[in-house]
Amino acid sequence: MDAFGGLLTGFGVILTPENLYLCFLGSLIGTLVGVLPGVGPLAALALLLPITFTLTPVGGMVMLASIFYGAMYGGSTTSILLNIPGEAASVVTCLDGHQMAKQGRAGAALGIAAIGSFVAGTLGVIVMTFFAPAIAAVAIRFGPPENFAVMVLGVICTLYMIAGSLVKGVLMVALGFLTAAIGIDVVNGRERFTFGSIDLSAGIELLAVVIGLFGVTEVLNNVERVVKSTVVTDRIRGLWPTLADWRASWRPMLRGSGLGFFLGLVPGGGPVTASFMSYALEKRISAHPERFGNGAIEGVAGPESANNAAVAGSIIPVLSLGIPGNPVTALLLGALVIHGVQPGPLFITQRPDLFWGIVASMYVGNVFLLLLNLPLVGLWAQLLRIPYRVLFPVVLLLSVVGTYSANKNVFDLWVMLGFGLLGYVLHKLAYDLAPFVIALVLAPLLEQSLRQSLAMSPDGAMIFLQRPGTALMLTACAVLVALMFRRTKKS
Amino acid sequence: MFERALNIFWILLGGAAAAYAWTLGLVGSSGPDSGLFPFISALIVMGAGVVLLLRSPGEAVAPDFPRGAALGRVLGVAAGLAFMAVSIPYLGFAVAGFITMIILLRAVEKSGWVFSIALAFISVVVVVWLFGRVLGMTLPRGPWGW
Repeated sequence: MDAFGGLLTGFGVILTPENLYLCFLGSLIGTLVGVLPGVGPLAALALLLPITFTLTPVGGMVMLASIFYGAMYGGSTTSILLNIPGEAASVVTCLDGHQMAKQGRAGAALGIAAIGSFVAGTLGVIVMTFFAPAIAAVAIRFGPPENFAVMVLGVICTLYMIAGSLVKGVLMVALGFLTAAIGIDVVNGRERFTFGSIDLSAGIELLAVVIGLFGVTEVLNNVERVVKSTVVTDRIRGLWPTLADWRASWRPMLRGSGLGFFLGLVPGGGPVTASFMSYALEKRISAHPERFGNGAIEGVAGPESANNAAVAGSIIPVLSLGIPGNPVTALLLGALVIHGVQPGPLFITQRPDLFWGIVASMYVGNVFLLLLNLPLVGLWAQLLRIPYRVLFPVVLLLSVVGTYSANKNVFDLWVMLGFGLLGYVLHKLAYDLAPFVIALVLAPLLEQSLRQSLAMSPDGAMIFLQRPGTALMLTACAVLVALMFRRTKKS
Repeated sequence: MFERALNIFWILLGGAAAAYAWTLGLVGSSGPDSGLFPFISALIVMGAGVVLLLRSPGEAVAPDFPRGAALGRVLGVAAGLAFMAVSIPYLGFAVAGFITMIILLRAVEKSGWVFSIALAFISVVVVVWLFGRVLGMTLPRGPWGW
C-alpha cells in the first residue's frame, strides 16, 4: 500500500463519529493539560490510559496521541499569559511570549504560537506520512542482532541528549533494566527478583511507575512551594498576526518545523530539546539578538513550531521500529502493547487501519487544535485562575484510579507511592528520570533480542560485528560514547 | 552527605542484584540464561555508584530539600496516599478517597472545613460516576457495597 492509499485508508478509519469525537476529546484534554501548570502530558497520558481500555485500539491511540500534541499547543498559553510553562516544551516560550504579553501584545503572541503549531504540526505529519513507511520497509529485514543494535543506539542517543550528569543517566538506564527484570522470565518461565512475592511475580506495572515518577513526583515538587503569579488578564485582542509579524515569523516557523522534526526522530530528543534548540538557533542567526528576551516574536514562532513538529518526528520510531525516544512515546508504546498490538517494522503491514488511522487523526487533530486554541483562548486564560490547591488533590485521586485500574491490585498503589517518593528524591539530586522510563519499556525486547542473538550465534558476541548493519549501528554507538566522554571531560 | 549515602546505596544494590543474578545462571546449555541481562545491568548500577562516590565532593549536588511548613506539605501528601493505599481494601475507593482528600485539603493546604468537605464530596462522586459507571471500571468497594 502506497502512502496516498494508506492515507485514504486512514481517513476512512478516522472519519467516523466515534473516532472524530475521541480525536476532539483528546485535543481538548491535551490543550487543558498544556494550559494547566503542574499537569504534564506524560502524567495526563498515564492517568487517562485506563480510559482507553474500554475503547478500540484505534480510538484509544487516536485519543492518546491527540493529548500528546494537544499539550504542545496549550502549553504556550500559560507561558505567555502567566510566565509559567504549562509543560516543559513551553519553558522557552516564557522568555519572549510573556514579554510580548506585558507589552500588550498577548494576542499576537498567542496567535503566532497557535498558527506556528498548526503549520509545524501539519508539515510534520506530511513528512511522517511518507517517511515512516520507508523506515519500516528497511527495518522489516532486521533480525534479533539488528533489533538489539537499534535499541542500544536508541538508549545511547537518549544518554547523549540528556542535560545532566552522564554517569547518573547511565545509572538510571541500568536501574530501569533491573526493574524490568523483576517478575517471570518470559523465555523459560523462571521467577527473578520476586523473593516469593505473588505481587512481584507479575512484574512491576509500567503505569504505576510512570504515574509515580511523573504524576506524584510533580505534585510533591509543586506542593512544597506556594506559587504566586500574575496572570495577564487584560482583554486579549489581535490574535491574527499583522503583516510585520508574519514577515518576522514565517522563516522561524519553517526552520523550527525542520529542526523539530529531526530532533523528534532522534531518541532522547523530542519536543523539549527541539524548542530550546530552535530558540538558540533563532537568536544566533538574528540580526538583532538583543531583542530576544524582550518580546521578539521569532522567539515564540520558532520554538512553538519546533515542539509540535517534534511530536510527529518522535512518533515515527515508535510506530515503525517499536523504539520510543522519550517517556511520552514510551508510554504510547506501552499503551499499544496493552491493547495487544506490538509496534515495529511489521506494524504498518499488519495493522494498516491503526497506523494510518493514527496518521490521519493527526491531520484532523491539528485542525481541531487550531480551532480550539484561537477562538477559545479567553476561556483557557480563565482556567488559569484555578488554584493549585484545588487541582492537586484531584490529580492524586485520578492517580490512584489510574494505577489501580491497570491490574485491580492495591500493591500497585504502593509501587506508585514508592516511585513517587524515589522520583522526588532523585529530582532533587539532579537525576534525569526519562532514561529510566525508556529503559524500563525497552528492556524486555532488548533482553529478548540479546538472548536470541547469542543463542543463534556460533561465535558468541561476535555476531554483532559480523553483520554489517549491526556493526554500523554499534560503531555509531561507540562514536557517541566517545563524544560523551569528551564532553564530560571538558565540562 | 545525602548524595554520598545514596551512592553507597547504589553500590550495595548493584552488588546484591549482581550476586542474586549470578545464582540464576548466566549461561545455560541453550545459550544465555535468566541471570545474564540483570547481572550486566546490576554491574552497571554498581559501577556508576562507584564513579559517583569517587567524584570530588565539590561535584556532588547539594539537594534543596524542603524544611518547616514546606516539608510538612510534602509529607502530608505522602501520608495521604499511604492512608489511601492502606484503607482502600477495607473502606472502598469512595470512602477512602473522600477521607484522603479531606486530609490533603485540611492538613496540607489548610483549607476550611466546608470547602474541603464540598470539594472532596464532589470530586469523589464525579470520579466514581465517570470511572465506575460511565466507563464500567471496577473500583474497590467497602463493606457497605460502594
